[in-house]
Amino acid sequence: MRVPLLRACLAALSLLSTTYALYESEAGIVDWHKSLIGVPLTGSLGTAPSFHRATKDDGWTTSLIISATSSNVLGALNAEDGAVAWRHVFAANDPIAVFKKQQSTVAALSGPGGSTLRTFDALTGDLLLEKRMHAPEHGTLYEPESLGTSVAFVPGSNNLLVLTSGHTLASVDGKTGETLWKWSSEDQGSLIIYSRIIYTPIAIYLLGIAKSTASFTLHATTLSPADGTLIASQNIPSGLPPTSPATSFLLLTNPNSTRTPHAVWLDTKNGLSTFNLTPNLKGSVGAWKGTKYTDVIDVGLAEENGLFVAIAEDGQSKAIRLGDAGDKGFEVVYSFPDSVTSPARSPSIYSGGFDKDGNPYIARVFWWHTFKVNLSLIFHEQGGYIQTLAINTATCIGKVFAFDTNTHGVMTHVTHDAGPMGDQFATRFMVSTSTGGLQMYHTTGGTKTRLDWTREEGLANVQVAEYVEIPERLVIESGGADAERFGDRLIRQIIEAKDFPRYAMNFAKRFATGSYASVSESAPASPTDGPLSRDAFGFRQVIVAATSYGKVYGIDSSNGEILWSRVLGLGWAAEVGGKIIPFKLYTTRTVADVGEDGEAGTPQVVLVTQRRADNTLVDTVLFHIDAMTGEDSRKQSPTADLLQGFDIISGPIVEAFFLQNSTRTVVLFDEYMQVYLYPESTESEADFEAAASSLHFQVRTGGPDARQLMGHSVMLNPELSKRFVGYPTSALALPAHEEIQSVIPSRRGPVASIGKVLGNRTTLYKYLNPHLVAVTTASPASHPPSCAIYVADVAKGTVVYHAVLPASGGACHVQATLAENWLVYHYFDEDLQGQSKGYRAVSVEFYEGALVDDKIKSSDMSSFSNETTRVTAYDRAYVSQHGISALTTTSTKFGVTAKDIIFATTDGKIQSLPRRIFDPRRPSRKPTAEEVEEQLVQYEPVLPSPAQRILSHKHEVANVRKIVTAPALLESTSLVFAYGLDLFHTRIAPSGTFDVLSENFNKAQLVLTIIGLAGAIVVTKPMVQRKRLRERW
Amino acid sequence: MFGSRLLLVLSSVCSLALALDIRGSILWNDVCPSFSNLSSVRVVLNDGKLSSGVTREGGFLIPDVPSGSYLLSALSHDYTFDSLRIDVPSDSESPSVHPHILGTPFSPASSIALAYPVVLTPRGKNAYYVAREGFNVMAMLSNPMMLIMGFTAIMMFAMPYIMKNLDPQMLEEMNNSQKKMMGVQSAMQSGDIKSGLAALVGAEDEPKSAGARNQPASSQVKNRGGKNKKR
Repeated sequence: MRVPLLRACLAALSLLSTTYALYESEAGIVDWHKSLIGVPLTGSLGTAPSFHRATKDDGWTTSLIISATSSNVLGALNAEDGAVAWRHVFAANDPIAVFKKQQSTVAALSGPGGSTLRTFDALTGDLLLEKRMHAPEHGTLYEPESLGTSVAFVPGSNNLLVLTSGHTLASVDGKTGETLWKWSSEDQGSLIIYSRIIYTPIAIYLLGIAKSTASFTLHATTLSPADGTLIASQNIPSGLPPTSPATSFLLLTNPNSTRTPHAVWLDTKNGLSTFNLTPNLKGSVGAWKGTKYTDVIDVGLAEENGLFVAIAEDGQSKAIRLGDAGDKGFEVVYSFPDSVTSPARSPSIYSGGFDKDGNPYIARVFWWHTFKVNLSLIFHEQGGYIQTLAINTATCIGKVFAFDTNTHGVMTHVTHDAGPMGDQFATRFMVSTSTGGLQMYHTTGGTKTRLDWTREEGLANVQVAEYVEIPERLVIESGGADAERFGDRLIRQIIEAKDFPRYAMNFAKRFATGSYASVSESAPASPTDGPLSRDAFGFRQVIVAATSYGKVYGIDSSNGEILWSRVLGLGWAAEVGGKIIPFKLYTTRTVADVGEDGEAGTPQVVLVTQRRADNTLVDTVLFHIDAMTGEDSRKQSPTADLLQGFDIISGPIVEAFFLQNSTRTVVLFDEYMQVYLYPESTESEADFEAAASSLHFQVRTGGPDARQLMGHSVMLNPELSKRFVGYPTSALALPAHEEIQSVIPSRRGPVASIGKVLGNRTTLYKYLNPHLVAVTTASPASHPPSCAIYVADVAKGTVVYHAVLPASGGACHVQATLAENWLVYHYFDEDLQGQSKGYRAVSVEFYEGALVDDKIKSSDMSSFSNETTRVTAYDRAYVSQHGISALTTTSTKFGVTAKDIIFATTDGKIQSLPRRIFDPRRPSRKPTAEEVEEQLVQYEPVLPSPAQRILSHKHEVANVRKIVTAPALLESTSLVFAYGLDLFHTRIAPSGTFDVLSENFNKAQLVLTIIGLAGAIVVTKPMVQRKRLRERW
Repeated sequence: MFGSRLLLVLSSVCSLALALDIRGSILWNDVCPSFSNLSSVRVVLNDGKLSSGVTREGGFLIPDVPSGSYLLSALSHDYTFDSLRIDVPSDSESPSVHPHILGTPFSPASSIALAYPVVLTPRGKNAYYVAREGFNVMAMLSNPMMLIMGFTAIMMFAMPYIMKNLDPQMLEEMNNSQKKMMGVQSAMQSGDIKSGLAALVGAEDEPKSAGARNQPASSQVKNRGGKNKKR
């Protein structure tokens, strides 16, 4: 009795003794982490990236680039090296509307109508203030989001002026968060939407647009700065262009001049018009005579420096300043040369910036197809071109910069700052690109510019990612020619022999110290002397990742370096514009396959995408890529150009599958359930035809509110179509109000054992039905709202397991993973009676039959057998300590190693827990001897959360959307790649690295022991000999 | 405070549902002395639909929380915090705070009532790494196996000398007991456990009863022998 108890205790202890744990020296070697901020929102000045000079405690200044991004992050990058200085991740239901910055503070408004105000320390990103301006459901959202929200700093105090919902202005104490006063317009935003604020000591000016009968009119309101009482409010007689009323007017002040603030707008009748603002709004409208302007651009210098850019009809652009000089205070500071519209130049991007002393600069950036490099020769070169204008001296410097449009797409935004350089000035500028890249350049002497750094922020929007194994390094025989003469060979061998001493040294060293390839060592950083090759343990693979910004990357899994990247070409839609959304990614050729030429080929992937052209047409496009180099495997697009795809379906895709028989074929279904195959070869067609009768696919059908999961088979009817057509065979009929949220296919890996031997020598056979899928659903319309999870056989629609789960606050966030016969799901349990509250994780295992030793051979049974529903589910619920955003299991080469559960928590950790903890057969009492033999430990409701099991250790991995696992060459080790806002990669050995010598293995001890024993033999040998001799006598 | 409450009352008239702000702060202690250690932290109710960031001063405010009971937890990357049960009543003015231990029933609330505004105490810092065991000669030598090995080695050399210096009487005694033990062992090995045990018990009993009585005598003899030698 005593021994089993002791053993149970030991087993309980060993359960948490970390089979996997990270040494500090291994951190950063076995794993890597890419901290990203997301792709900047360049649509409006209030969210676009801009330079900011912040003063540190020691008096030095540092330059940051602050931006709001499409990943809903407010982030700051160091201008020097492009590293993330700080970032604040906003919740998904709290989108950033606008941010403003002052010397040491950044203020951001987020949520519907700007419901929440936050201020941050500009240098460290520390949150200083968080204040609810109004309840989110009371906020009014306008299109674009920046309309109707604004923040202004009151100079000389900590106070902020906050404009929310387009109709409410509040004065907030920036230190305490107290609302000093609040003013709301009478119409509550139904007629007038304010969008701009200017503070002057005598009045606060609010400028907005008012809907009038025919068009949009400017509306101005003045408030008292002391208590927010209304001074005056009236329409300014104007007509704004109906297509873009919000961006066609500006509010100008210039503190260095005596002029009152002015409103400038593009009038549909009178062209560029101005209105001088006074507290009583008794100004007059002035029209701009002479040149006709078609556009006014706010470069971020209007409200403080009175500067803007106006574009004339012919495209000529001018920098205009409100000041003391010029006609009625308006003065054209400079006309940009080469700005007349030309087919050789792309439309220009304008940016406003400052130097250290706060002097304003305006930069104009465009793409130039042809320019002269040399006086005598005209090269047909292309490149970026930047003109920087110093306003104070009205000098403009033009420079060429090497922007690579084939790897970064087109420029979408530019921000810059300037610094004096001799009697001239230098410019630093950051280009945002359509593929989500950020590139920092700085100008040097002459016409040169240099690239400082590049960030691939598109990786914050990875849609699909897969591991691809890479081949071993080829051992290349030197010489090799048959007709080599003896003398030549001798010379060659002598030359080669010069490496022998080094080899001998290395051999001796390796023998003595045992420095073999080690699992904790990083795979060699890209070998310069040859192509990419595998390391000893297969830890080095290529992660092919496609983003929603039309770019596909090959990432080295051992160090996170981007090996190659290609921009996806739009095909015919390039003329109208469009977007490519990745759908699925398949490895169509692995290292084990033989290429067409009979030799082992390089691995290849097929990326299935949907192209949404701006004229609403949707096509399905395939990209066939060499995973090692990023080359087009169809050999249609040159290396340095866009990667052009293959339009396989002229219409949207419904589902895609991967058929792996004798060929590897991508099977696509169009809207009419017609089958398309890729590659379109006779072999793959024959292969598909052979397999067609036994194929089952699950397809989500039906519109909103009537979604169903239908099992399909395919048939060929030559009279109707030359293609195979899918037809429904079964349906997973859900209740009418249930909405499918996700379909989680079973993770198929090698199954090492089909059963589980119990302590009493009986066996539970695993239920390994290949057609199992897990489906999570939501029924928001039911009372109370609920969620559900199903495990179903899609071939005939039978439900194997079903659980109804509570919806937390009406929303379903059920995460689930299904591997072999094991289902784990996680949800927030909120009992309406208040009996329970908290995260729950449920582990379910499916075994064949009703009892032990009941075997139905589920893995190779026909789906139409009645036996398929003879299954027993064992389940256990656990209390989880974390919210989870992604969940998966490890996968290993042969499936022998125990599977760990890997999950990403909402507080930015990637964590693993062993399967033994999740075992649904853990007994609720002290385990018996038989159960101890099975290594079962007593059930404890709370899942442990040891910090050593946090794979991401000190890194904060934010907003993980998915975790991908892949086997390494070592059976013990699984590779783990998590993507979301950040990228994180590590490897994990769930059962310890049993197939390699442990890092802890003490070679010194072994050597010392052997030496000691040898010494003992040397000492004792003569003694024994002497003794024997004596005995003989 | 009063002003904001008044405002809340006003707004609640519009929305017809009383909602309270939940205020609180983080108590800086030895585990986490300042905000710069904490990096980003968010205080959430239930699964995070209602939440608040923590400002540099350590304060937080979750606005407009409707009546009901909530699980309050602090999401921090590097530190662990206790979870609390917050009850926002529909009539009273301030929420009540109770400790909640995960894995225990959520209702009824613990009888311990905590002060409001909420005070969150950092309980521990996550230790992500394990220390690598380095090579240590002392640790290797203090290993029991090594100690036994060392002892045998020493005995191997020392034994002949000890044997030489031993009293012939003691030697005989030792030989006798050794023989007895051998007998027991061989009996055990041959499967005759009973007789072996009996022999063992007998062997144990014998010296015990004899020893109790004879020990002083034998020591006397030994002493005397020693004295004799000296003379």
